[in-house]
Amino acid sequence: MIDKQVIEDVLYAALSKGGDFAEIYVEDKHNGSMRMVGGILESNISGRDYGVGIRIFDKLNSIYAYTNDSSKENLIKVAKQAASALNSKQIDIRLNLMKKNTTNYNPIKVYPSSINKGQKVDLLKRGYEAAKSYDDVISQVTVSYLEEEQNVLIANTEGLLVTDSRVRTRYVVQSVASKDGEMQVGSYSPGASMGFEFYDNINVEDVGKEASRIAKTSVYADYCPSGVMPVIIDNEFGGVLFHEACGHALEAEFVSRDTSAFAGKLGQMVASPLVTAIDDGTMKNGWGSTNVDDEGTPTKRNILIENGVLKSYLIDKLNGRRMNMESTGSGRRQSYKFAPTSRMNNTYIAAGDSTLEEMINNTEYGLYAKKLGGGSVNPATGDFNFAVMEGYIVQNGKILKPVRGATLIGNGVKVLELIDMVGNNLELGQGMCGASSGSIPANVGQPSIRVKSLTVGGRKEDE
Amino acid sequence: MDYRDYLNNLLNKAKENMEDVEAFLIKDKEISMGVYKGQLDKYSIAESGGLSLRGIYNGKMGYSYTERIDDSSVDKLIQDTLENSKYIDDLDPETIFEGSDKYENINNFNETLGNVPVSEKIDFLKKLEKEALSLDNRVFAADACVYQEFEQERYIRNTKGIDLHDKVNGAISYISVVVKDGEDTKTGFSLRIIKNFSELDHKQMAKEAVENAISMLGAKSIKSDKYPVVFENKTFADLLSAFSSVFSADNVQKGLSGLKDKIGEEIGSPILNIVDDPFLKDGFGSRNFDDEGTKTSFKKLIDNGKLTSYLYNWKTANKEGVQSTGNASRSYKGQISISPTNLYIEKGDKSFEELVNSISKGLYINNLEGLHSGLNPVSGDFSLSASGYGIEDGKISRAVNLITIAGNLYELLKDIEAIGNDLEFGIYGYIGSPSIKVKSLSISGE
Repeated sequence: MIDKQVIEDVLYAALSKGGDFAEIYVEDKHNGSMRMVGGILESNISGRDYGVGIRIFDKLNSIYAYTNDSSKENLIKVAKQAASALNSKQIDIRLNLMKKNTTNYNPIKVYPSSINKGQKVDLLKRGYEAAKSYDDVISQVTVSYLEEEQNVLIANTEGLLVTDSRVRTRYVVQSVASKDGEMQVGSYSPGASMGFEFYDNINVEDVGKEASRIAKTSVYADYCPSGVMPVIIDNEFGGVLFHEACGHALEAEFVSRDTSAFAGKLGQMVASPLVTAIDDGTMKNGWGSTNVDDEGTPTKRNILIENGVLKSYLIDKLNGRRMNMESTGSGRRQSYKFAPTSRMNNTYIAAGDSTLEEMINNTEYGLYAKKLGGGSVNPATGDFNFAVMEGYIVQNGKILKPVRGATLIGNGVKVLELIDMVGNNLELGQGMCGASSGSIPANVGQPSIRVKSLTVGGRKEDE
Repeated sequence: MDYRDYLNNLLNKAKENMEDVEAFLIKDKEISMGVYKGQLDKYSIAESGGLSLRGIYNGKMGYSYTERIDDSSVDKLIQDTLENSKYIDDLDPETIFEGSDKYENINNFNETLGNVPVSEKIDFLKKLEKEALSLDNRVFAADACVYQEFEQERYIRNTKGIDLHDKVNGAISYISVVVKDGEDTKTGFSLRIIKNFSELDHKQMAKEAVENAISMLGAKSIKSDKYPVVFENKTFADLLSAFSSVFSADNVQKGLSGLKDKIGEEIGSPILNIVDDPFLKDGFGSRNFDDEGTKTSFKKLIDNGKLTSYLYNWKTANKEGVQSTGNASRSYKGQISISPTNLYIEKGDKSFEELVNSISKGLYINNLEGLHSGLNPVSGDFSLSASGYGIEDGKISRAVNLITIAGNLYELLKDIEAIGNDLEFGIYGYIGSPSIKVKSLSISGE
């Protein structure tokens, strides 16, 4: 992407005023997206993201600069501008960059950019037809097709030179159900680090039907009652519970500054002994997988919590310096426009041995949250919230009726201790995770779990 | 680089293959700094941008973009734009605009902002952090103490004759503090969105963040019930932001807004006025022309409770046979869509104290979470994690957290009982509200 000699010159320039580490990140990315609304292809855009980020460390302080202009003279100018924030002497370095080989966890069969756009439009039509014809209450359907092919080069003054290619594919259906002037939305959006062969694995009609099924369920649902109750959270995207309630607080960005509720708790019991949680950047073709992270460190399978005991944080290079710990291959960023920080890849609670039926049968009164929407957390306090996209009231061990508009709130540290059943049906769901280094693809996941007691926010005071 | 020649060449070449074409070019500059424990621990500088080409072929609009703005990109941009247009089957075609007769000429670029030396900005942050840490011994850390400044240049050029350029700038500064009292941890935040560096007052910001955090120590939930609620101005602005898409004519036409078929109808309290004001002094959304090159205009969207207008670009306006309201909006990576300029609820006549005094038992809410997930702009339903304070006998009492508020936007607008005189803009900088008193909302707590 950029000549090795130029990279070395830029790294030298970056350390010309002091500092003890410099890094260059070159990104060249093809993006393609299509959107069909009401069966009509409204949008079809393709383009190229292109830029270079340069980072300097001076002990625990960091400087970041980025530009779109990758000419040698501009890169050296930008590196020197960044360096000018420091005011000491150059340390003696001799670079001999050697390209490193990596393991490929994300083999690609068919690059999406090589496929005729007509085939992609056909995919959208099929999903649209299936979603629209699902039921008469479905009043509007939007289907989106997304592809990206990102090539990165990362080099640093430790002698690292590595490249990675990330190809991702996603298909999104959003259905609106209308009844008596009321509208409710359902959506479903599978994705993977795969090429066009992704569509050999999923059936787009099923995706469309699933989105419409959720919308239809909601429009016929009553408002959710409020209160503190047991909550059964189903598998797949239900894993956003762990992601928000706990995953973010395990990120070194917060741990290193002692502002995370989990700081200083390695080796301690932080969750119910039923909980084992893993972040795995190496999962084959996983939505959040990469071969190396955005600092060039190979990704790993990190056991975060094992049988309730805190085993590891998610660590990037800079925060690793603060904590005196090695990177766990968790430095990620949206693009060259962001300095990387510690982030999740594919994070999930491992399977236990209960079944969903057992959980429902053992619940006298509570909420069964079948599909969760997004959520957020304050990593310092651990307070989280997320939306329930599809929920049901459980009474006397049986599913009573669908409810809508529920929000789950609680505290991450406490909720982990309150998990009293873990299912045997682990599945992963795809999300976009937003934080200080931008919006990145991440898998969340879990089997069905039951939380003994959680605050459910709804619109009805009681039943 | 001389963009004029580059864009001319691009448009001339593209015009050989397409009916009409338009180039949209953005150049961004950004500088950002963060202080931690008295040191500049984060510093970043950036110059970037992107170029979009859109063009009409057989009556259909294609788009493509690149961030590599040099001669090597010209042919691929043209080829992709042409290719992308072929699959569009939109029945309401997009058009390329020939320009308005006349534009306002308001300057939205403050030269003085960038002229303040970086060292002064760093000193400000150091003072801000130091002040926050000194205010109370329960302040554990300032986990963010940041100043960010941006400049954006915009060029729109097309084969219908538009040749427009403008430049805006601004800055934000914020501090987030963590306070601890035993096992109890709380955070507090204060944010300023400015165009003049002299508006930043480190003492005021530190005090606000620390008071927000300290006052939340010992917070507890409350009994689930319906309560009258006063929303802090910035917090209501953020709630309004999450719902601002309901004013978009595009969402209305697609059946994705609850305001469909409601023009002329009473949709809010008779004291409610919402405007879209592109000429607001120092407004973050202030612009003389929109992203299609159409002149912007001041308009009332809700006039004494009645819905008077939607926000239009040309595609949606043509569909209804009306004029664009100058609300076309886009990034170089995307298609033309619609967004407000500066959208805000006009201030009322009550002081914040009067709003609180009028409630014997209720809640004051100054924080909402989950705005990107806990609400549904289509139905208007929301259920959001919230925190704030109880109101007892007209006075703010104890801190309240771990509650959710639930309701429906369209009902909420009708339930507004009083509006404060303290208009402020929220976290996005271009959506504002005064403090708002609402008759009743469902609160879930204990």
